[in-house]
Amino acid sequence: MHIPDGYLDPIWCAGTYAVTIAYLIYAYRRVRANYDVSRAIPLMTVFAAGIFVAQMLNWPIPGGTSLHFVGGALSAIVLGPYLASYVMFLVLLVQALVFHDGGITTLGANVLNMGIIDVWVGYLIYRLVTRYVGGSRGIFLGAFLGGWAGITIAGAAAGTEIGLSPWFPYGIYISLPVMASWHALLGIVEGAITAFVAQYLLTKHPELTQVVKVGVRAS
Amino acid sequence: MISKKQLILIIMLIALSPLFGVYLANLVGYHEPLDVAGDLLHLKDIRYQINWTPFIDYTVPGLPDMVGYAIAGVMGFLIILGIGYLINWVHNKRSRR
Repeated sequence: MHIPDGYLDPIWCAGTYAVTIAYLIYAYRRVRANYDVSRAIPLMTVFAAGIFVAQMLNWPIPGGTSLHFVGGALSAIVLGPYLASYVMFLVLLVQALVFHDGGITTLGANVLNMGIIDVWVGYLIYRLVTRYVGGSRGIFLGAFLGGWAGITIAGAAAGTEIGLSPWFPYGIYISLPVMASWHALLGIVEGAITAFVAQYLLTKHPELTQVVKVGVRAS
Repeated sequence: MISKKQLILIIMLIALSPLFGVYLANLVGYHEPLDVAGDLLHLKDIRYQINWTPFIDYTVPGLPDMVGYAIAGVMGFLIILGIGYLINWVHNKRSRR
């Protein structure tokens, strides 16, 4: 889902950068206010390192495609959405600058899709499900649906950005269905990994969520 | 910052990554949904024309793809860890003031 350079026109690049920078400034303030920062930084780093490595495992799918875990929803469920956005930002920044996975001009769009949309959709769905379904069943179901929906909506957002780029008029009729349908299918694996890992971490290591001091609680 | 258990898990994932990221990906032909949309819209991927890093696509110049992929994993892991240590150091220095 990493959009390379050349796929978005300058207006979309500038617009997505502006939204992402504004959000990251706001998220920084929320992290400082709501988190125990001295514990949040090491957790953010370890999560980012783990997700970076997990993203290198491309799972081949018969028919000539492949997928990899993204991890935005998982980070949000365990660490809360504001810190999770920084986890994803760190991963995407290193991927773009060091390995050219995703473009520089499209870094704003990639952080918007995987570090904001995936994170928030996953988190909100998880919260909604766990409100009605309690216990470890709620954690598993919420994390599965959160992981699946997060990646599907993020894929649809990437398709929309590419399709609405004035360089490719009417492309949205192609790019949105392709991106949304494929990610809805591939999202099942994202949901399953998110569910198993989130359930393990939240039941065996509940101390992880105590990084959030007040306000937005991760679980 | 990172526990022994976490480090072992990450090392295991890095060791396994070339199998998935290179061998199996080549077997099916690496093709993400974004590539499909890009092809249909005739979008031009200009990554190789405008490139700023020798480690493009998780390769290391002069090394076979499988080895390079694993080395790239170690590099990325260490860079992220380094950035984390730097942020932590700055935060600790500021809070001591």
